[in-house]
Amino acid sequence: MSLWVDKHRPKDLMKLDYHKEQAGRLKNLVQQSDFPHLLVYGPSGAGKKTRIMCLLRELYGSGVERLRQETMNFTTPSNKKIEIMTVSSNYHIEVNPTDVGIHDRVVIMDLVKNVAQTHQIDSSGQREFKVVILNEVDDLTKDAQHALRRTMEKYVATCRLILIANSISRVIPAIRSRCLTIRVPAPTENEIASVLHVVCKKEGLNLPSELAMRIAKCSGRNLRRALLMCEACKVQQYPFTSDQKVPEPDWQLFIKETASMILSEQSPKKLGEVRQKLYELIIHGVPPDVVFSGLLCELVKNCDMAMKCQVASHAATYEHRMRLGNKAIFHLEAFVAKFMAIYKKFMEESLGDVF
Amino acid sequence: MSNKKERMWFKPTFDFDQCDPPKKSKEQAISTSVSTTVSTDKESIHSKINNINNIHHKSWMKKFDPVTVQDLAIHNKKVQDVEEWINDSCSSNHSHMLLLTGPVGCGKTATIHMLAKKHNIKVTEWITPIDIEIPSENGEFEFREKQSTKFMDFILKAANFTSLLDDNTKKLVLVEDFPNTFLRSPSEFTEVLHQYKRRAKSPVVFICSDTHTDSKNTAGSLFTFSLQEEFEIHHIVFNSVSVTGLRSALKRVSELISKKYISFYDIPTSDMIECVVNSSAGDIRSAVLNLHFACLKGSKCDLETSSVIIKETKSKASKKKKQTSSKFLSLGKDQTVSILHGVGRVLNPKVIMDNNCQRLSYAPSDVIEQFLSHPSSFVNFLAENYLPHFSSIDHVDKAASALSDADFMLAEWREKICQENGLYVAVAGLMLSNKAPVSAWNPVRGPKNMKIIYPSPREFPALDQNYLHKGRVLAIDYKTYLHIIGSNV
Repeated sequence: MSLWVDKHRPKDLMKLDYHKEQAGRLKNLVQQSDFPHLLVYGPSGAGKKTRIMCLLRELYGSGVERLRQETMNFTTPSNKKIEIMTVSSNYHIEVNPTDVGIHDRVVIMDLVKNVAQTHQIDSSGQREFKVVILNEVDDLTKDAQHALRRTMEKYVATCRLILIANSISRVIPAIRSRCLTIRVPAPTENEIASVLHVVCKKEGLNLPSELAMRIAKCSGRNLRRALLMCEACKVQQYPFTSDQKVPEPDWQLFIKETASMILSEQSPKKLGEVRQKLYELIIHGVPPDVVFSGLLCELVKNCDMAMKCQVASHAATYEHRMRLGNKAIFHLEAFVAKFMAIYKKFMEESLGDVF
Repeated sequence: MSNKKERMWFKPTFDFDQCDPPKKSKEQAISTSVSTTVSTDKESIHSKINNINNIHHKSWMKKFDPVTVQDLAIHNKKVQDVEEWINDSCSSNHSHMLLLTGPVGCGKTATIHMLAKKHNIKVTEWITPIDIEIPSENGEFEFREKQSTKFMDFILKAANFTSLLDDNTKKLVLVEDFPNTFLRSPSEFTEVLHQYKRRAKSPVVFICSDTHTDSKNTAGSLFTFSLQEEFEIHHIVFNSVSVTGLRSALKRVSELISKKYISFYDIPTSDMIECVVNSSAGDIRSAVLNLHFACLKGSKCDLETSSVIIKETKSKASKKKKQTSSKFLSLGKDQTVSILHGVGRVLNPKVIMDNNCQRLSYAPSDVIEQFLSHPSSFVNFLAENYLPHFSSIDHVDKAASALSDADFMLAEWREKICQENGLYVAVAGLMLSNKAPVSAWNPVRGPKNMKIIYPSPREFPALDQNYLHKGRVLAIDYKTYLHIIGSNV
């Protein structure tokens, strides 16, 4: 059995549930047999990949759905062997270059070269170019992004690149200008709720609209998470009741716990304990920026307006530094220390007012 | 000299001429690689030569080498240890092995040479040859023979066969210069030792210098504990030369100067000797070098010693009378500091009062000088360990902010100045922000390994196998729910 997220993924541009106008434009785009390089961006769980797969199907027919997994090997200039997972059909290949860390430049250059050098066998009705899909382009190293710029121009005759990113602010302007940028905004809560209704109907389930709205709210406008939540709800309790518990992601609970630790005591010793928690989050793959925003949301609930502003401004400073620095934990810790200092001062002052 | 000459295989023509010292001595300096130290002979020559020639003399530093065992600056007990071993092993026909370790310049090699001379033992030393031939036609370098084979041939021959011209029967093989190939593949070295153990008939002495960095520590990487046990290698550890040892050795040098070299050295004052002792950190070789430099009478311009010596006051709290002793700043050895030591200096900053203004006993700039080659690992150590030293969260806030700044600067690895400044920000920030330190014993912990482990798609059979999953999406979206969904299927 497959997950609802996979099972009910729309396969045709015209069957998408939201952003229908954009879908129409995309359809028009590929009807002129050729299209420029694309840079698709938007928050996680907004449906970027779904749209791209629909686009490819429009372009090549159902052949793109015959997927196979392959492990490709590359050798870095320093003679280190690296391997990377790829998913490909006869017409396209998809890869996460960030899986190999700082060696992403080699992967991008060699992969695109390999794909571009083999021409499409000319059978009827097929395009003369292949498509390379690169995920998480905004997390690529600067080196890799510059390499990408060259490659894009060089092999434009035989391959098209589709780049996927969460935000284009960290994509170098040179790449941005070479691509047609397409923004896929996150669905609204109502849109998510309606998708949930449609899916439940297909599954033959009855979903109360209150529960649908609550799931949509919990999901943080992430459709993938919403569908997973909905399926988890079904496993936990069916028939649905409108007041049933919606399971939260475990890392979110963990962040809440950490935030309450920070609020309970402001001392270097407590900070040491908080640090261990942060380590754990990062090691288990929760991205530091998610930790940052999660902590901030929890912490400002306990602040008055003036302090909220102050805390948010500090969070922004440290988050920015974190993007530029190497060790996320330093900046997270600096933020927590800053918050503790501000909060302690605030508490002492308000206690002073009482007496 | 006559003794030496008889033993030589052939006599170069210019050697007949006793009055041609510069040329001859150069020749000799090169040929000393396989010979016992004969410093007395040289000294006699030196006295005949005029000043200018002497300065260009290649082996000018040999003239202060110890002549007898009593001249050694090493503790008597250690010398006795080594002497006993040499007596034991040279009397039998077995291939005993000895490993000498110690910091640089503590007199390991000198001890062996002196004792060998005393007991009339011939020392044969291995010097790693340059093994690259002239490039062949297509421009590639050819290697004649493997270094390890050469090395084995050499030590076996040296151990088993006496020179025709030698009247000695006792032999000793000395290895100080290890071929690089052994550092790359220690197994080759084990093989050589096996062969030696089986076939050789003379003892061998290995000398290794201790270094602070593990990667260059020959003794540690080659002579592992198991290896020492397997081949019954006797291990003697030398300490750096004590202050009294240094002082008496330098006194001997100054006596030598006043006897023989008065023409181009100033006689060192006791102040100057004290300076040298303080600045050389237990390294006898560098102490003699420093003394040589400090006492040298300028040949062209008059190099006044006072311009060289910069006095730095150093208070010794243990003595009743505050005694100040000086130290060369421009000369002398660097005091290398291990990373743990550095962490301690930063996290427990000591403030001393100096002319009514507060000053850190170790300035941040001095500390960072030691760690410029690996700034980020030092900062990682600091970040891991700074918290227990703080008592107030306000101070932690400043310190953490400094670390955050430092990380941001260190990320720009292409700019050397960023590395330096980043390290400075971290060190100075931590030293200055802590106004109320906690004085307690805190063990130093190593930085945490921050390897991110994303959940693998294989853990979740429910996932679509033909879909390329991103690690972070698996971690933040799928993981929780797949556990719930999977548990009930």
